[in-house]
Amino acid sequence: MHLILKRFGVFRTVAAVVIGLLFLFPIYITLCTSLDTPAHVFTFPPHLTLDFNWSVWVKAWHLYNWLQFFFNTVTIALVTIAIALTTSILAAYALSFIRFRGQEVVFATILVVLMIPGETFLIPNFVIMANLHLVDTLTAQILPYGASAFGIFLLRQFFLSLPRDYMEAAKIDGCGHLRFLWSIAIPLCRPVLITLALYIFIGTWNSLIWPLMVAQNPSVQPIELALANFLTSNSSDWQGLSAASMFATLPIIVIFLFLQRYIIQGVSRGDGIRF
Amino acid sequence: MATDGSLSIPRTARPPRRLVTTSRSHDLLVAICFLVPAFAFLAVFVYLPTILALVLAFLNYQGGNTPTPWVGLSNLHQAITYSVFQQSLENTLYYAAMVVPGTLILSIAIAVLIQRASRIYAVIRTLVLLPYVTPTIGTAIGWLWIYDPSFGIANAVLHFLHLPMSTWMQSPSMAMPAVAIYSLWHGVGFDVIIILTAITGLPQGVLEAAMVDGASSWRRFWKITLPLISPTVFFITVITAIGSFQAFSQVYALSTGTGGPEYATTTTLFLIYQTAFQYGNFSYAAAMAVYLVLLIFILTMVLRWVGRRAVFYD
Repeated sequence: MHLILKRFGVFRTVAAVVIGLLFLFPIYITLCTSLDTPAHVFTFPPHLTLDFNWSVWVKAWHLYNWLQFFFNTVTIALVTIAIALTTSILAAYALSFIRFRGQEVVFATILVVLMIPGETFLIPNFVIMANLHLVDTLTAQILPYGASAFGIFLLRQFFLSLPRDYMEAAKIDGCGHLRFLWSIAIPLCRPVLITLALYIFIGTWNSLIWPLMVAQNPSVQPIELALANFLTSNSSDWQGLSAASMFATLPIIVIFLFLQRYIIQGVSRGDGIRF
Repeated sequence: MATDGSLSIPRTARPPRRLVTTSRSHDLLVAICFLVPAFAFLAVFVYLPTILALVLAFLNYQGGNTPTPWVGLSNLHQAITYSVFQQSLENTLYYAAMVVPGTLILSIAIAVLIQRASRIYAVIRTLVLLPYVTPTIGTAIGWLWIYDPSFGIANAVLHFLHLPMSTWMQSPSMAMPAVAIYSLWHGVGFDVIIILTAITGLPQGVLEAAMVDGASSWRRFWKITLPLISPTVFFITVITAIGSFQAFSQVYALSTGTGGPEYATTTTLFLIYQTAFQYGNFSYAAAMAVYLVLLIFILTMVLRWVGRRAVFYD
């Protein structure tokens, strides 16, 4: 009995490792292709070891102005995070620490945003941007995400979970709302803020359809869009494409490896949403 | 004498200080000020577009400064009778039918498998979550290469197993399943983490009691674990289903922007994008979007109905 259980344990670990490797494999194989010597690229069956032929990377790097695309993406992400976090904290504060009539209705109005599918906004937002003469700008890629209903929801949940004593004690001591917000509420909700910031960052980095609609000029395109254009114009330069996708993917992978604790925390926090 | 001109009154004679230093109307003012920034953004970029989305469908807006006459229901009628649009609806439903059950089965299976709390399993958990955080285009390019008919690993594996090879993205029949497989690889990690959280949050008492009573682990899973995490499973079903209707990046990348051979991978959202931005017909696209939103709404209602029946709440 013992032996059977032990063997099952080993089998389970082996199966888990195989699955882990399967998930890693597509990224690994893109890396391989990008580093292959030209002779090894078009082989059947495919070549599976790393040749470390860096010349492909050098060539792909010089093909486009990747630094500009990185800069665009990071700028859009950081500015969006700054604006969205600010508006979300303020709104969540107002909806949790302050008692006023109609609070539930206001919150419901914000929640409704989460239920409307994103597609509804795409074309109208494009029309709005065109009328504001903001097409082909970084601004157009930031503004629609200036308020995050999800962020307001998360922060409000967090603020509501704090003991009422904090607020009572602060009020007795004569603390106004702004001071309470700045000195107490914000420092307390730091983990939620980090999770939200990461969520927005990853969302911005990976977004395609909105930039695709609103950014024709390469100087304001984010990296996903640049990569997509690279794909549609060079669909057979496999090595170049693989190298380019490594440029776009590796930074996020590095960030993920360092910050996975917060990402996993944020993902498991999503479990709290009940229907 | 106080500098503001008021009389200086001895401390003992002053009326008692109010416990709450902010009055009701002051509170309301602060609340409004705090809510205005968020609402400003929401009003312009969410509420207004929602109304505009509907209005656009009834006009004939072709972009720029062209005249936009009111055309009533003709855009909506044209959309629903357009064969490619009908096919896009089928494609979208086909895709969802593959991705939703696939995601559920895979994520539950993997979560149960890697449930142990040891170093190796933590590494595997990272690997499983890794595809989820990567940008779609970057990894889709890798998968395009995997799906390459002559040099890709997919066909190499099939060849090795003596199974018939496929032209994958070039084949009208395999293109959509290929996109679904990519989406499963990309999205499962997120759901695995959610299920892991749910499983580890279960009260151990019930499971231990069952173990003492001699229930096999298979039985424990089906009769206890699964029902107890059913709210979470339901949550994942809903977000995966709604998400699958909104899949764009992978369809765009894996079909190299074309929508697939014989419209095989043209989902409704992709067709909307094409109609608006490749053919410049914004109103027509808006009409299609109305249908898509309606479809998602119906889907949500159906899922809620199912949820009320199938989910076990304690």
